[in-house]
Amino acid sequence: MALDHRRVPGPEESQAPLLYAAPGEAGTDAPGREAAALRPLLARAGLLSQAEGSAYVELAGGTKVLCAVRGPREAAEGRGRLLCEFRRAPFSVRGARPRPGPATAARERELGLALQEALAPAVRLARYPRARLELTALVLQDGGSALAAALSAAALALADAGVEMFDLVVGCGLCRAPGPGGAWLLQPSEAEERAAAARLTVALMPGLNQVAGLLGSGQGGPPESWAQAVRLGLEGCQRLYPVLRRSLLRAAERRAAEGPRAVGASA
Amino acid sequence: MASVVLSEAEKVYVVHGVQEDLRVDGRGCEDYRCIEVETDVVSNTSGSARVKLGHTDILVGVKAEMGTPKLENPNEGYLEFFVDCSANATPEFEGRGGEELATEIVNTLYRIFSSESTIDVKSLCINPREHCWVLYVDVLLLECGGNLFDAISIAVKAALFNTRIPKVRVLEDEEGSKEIELSDDPYDCIRLNVDNVPCIITLSKIGCRHVVDATLQEEACSLASLLLSVTSRGTFTCMKKLGNGSLDPESIFEMMETGKRVGKTLHASLQKILDKEESLGTTRQKVGFLG
Repeated sequence: MALDHRRVPGPEESQAPLLYAAPGEAGTDAPGREAAALRPLLARAGLLSQAEGSAYVELAGGTKVLCAVRGPREAAEGRGRLLCEFRRAPFSVRGARPRPGPATAARERELGLALQEALAPAVRLARYPRARLELTALVLQDGGSALAAALSAAALALADAGVEMFDLVVGCGLCRAPGPGGAWLLQPSEAEERAAAARLTVALMPGLNQVAGLLGSGQGGPPESWAQAVRLGLEGCQRLYPVLRRSLLRAAERRAAEGPRAVGASA
Repeated sequence: MASVVLSEAEKVYVVHGVQEDLRVDGRGCEDYRCIEVETDVVSNTSGSARVKLGHTDILVGVKAEMGTPKLENPNEGYLEFFVDCSANATPEFEGRGGEELATEIVNTLYRIFSSESTIDVKSLCINPREHCWVLYVDVLLLECGGNLFDAISIAVKAALFNTRIPKVRVLEDEEGSKEIELSDDPYDCIRLNVDNVPCIITLSKIGCRHVVDATLQEEACSLASLLLSVTSRGTFTCMKKLGNGSLDPESIFEMMETGKRVGKTLHASLQKILDKEESLGTTRQKVGFLG
């Protein structure tokens, strides 16, 4: 939209207020928290009526992710494919609304690819020849560890859709506190994540004890430090697993109580 | 990505070879193919490098342009990465075919350079909040023969090493207006310190062992690989699982150890070659693309 600059006597440039905020102001978390403490997790499967499978995962402190699975749909050719999309709601982040543009799209595509590569080992794609499964993860609110929450939600949604899987996938986020020798913290909040020197997301298939996904970057230090982070993350995943399994069971019970599914929903 | 189709028998042959630490081309599991590095190959750039790793051929050009610093880092310059998958590499890249791979590579490059210590971006600042150098790093894939990520990171490091940014001075007069003056001497330039620029080591899991520098055939046999970006001191700046398979936790730790070891050797030999090429000065005979 063209602006008439004579009518808008504002300054020519503007700067983000966060630049002037004193460091540490935004941090609301209690300092010196336990590194291996997990944020309470709420998971619910099967809540969207139009999708074959769906799940919602919320981490205490304000990370909310909604995930839906559509398919299997017929595809033109080739082997079964899993298509994953990772989206952030425009209001999901703190501060200014992110401008939609190629940079934002590229970042979302990277996380979409990370989702797909982490879920592919768990899904029995060979059982779905010439078909595609479409999965969308929508971050409603990012309070830290959004990719990890999306991973767990996506696996729940796939299971809820009745897709054949080897195992669930559980995601867990980590970050390394700034400064030399900073400790790795499990499931960081948004403030911790912003200040962190390094970030890491691990995805585990707990039943098979196989690492399905790894994505991390930053000043994590020597390999020993990263290895310790991976160990801590995998342990976190194991601890989250029963919660996710229970939510899946509850969804199945609820569905059984409701009687046979409506025709449109069961394909 | 460019890929080859292998029959089951061929796959078994490759996997069994890897098991015995003898790969199809005679290498061991931790050996790289012969790497050719040449810097200063394109004269229109501030720095350029071409890397040939087996049949993988990468050309990187760095152009330094003046821009305004980002709002959140007012006294730092920055790097921008672009990747172009030329249709010369494989017909799959024609039209928009290479776009997905290009985005993946660009994102990975941003990720490995995300750590503040990799490159001194503060030295790229000319005038806080107003002017800084922006380094546009353009990566061109000329040929794909496996292990793209490693080759690209080597080429990027070599090109950054080769980059010469003209020296400028900021003059301020009494009224406070600033003027930028370019040095008259074309050889008066700043060089970047690339000691901490990481290289990517991709470790592909084949059977129950892992190999570095996989060829296209070996990539077709591997379900999952681990991408590590290793600095010359052996620290990691990025870690990522690639591919549709999963990895055993124990094998990840083994791969990290291998990555550190191989990465240190790779950095040492790359730096040696770059220094040697540098010492030849302008008398060096350029090999170029037909060498």
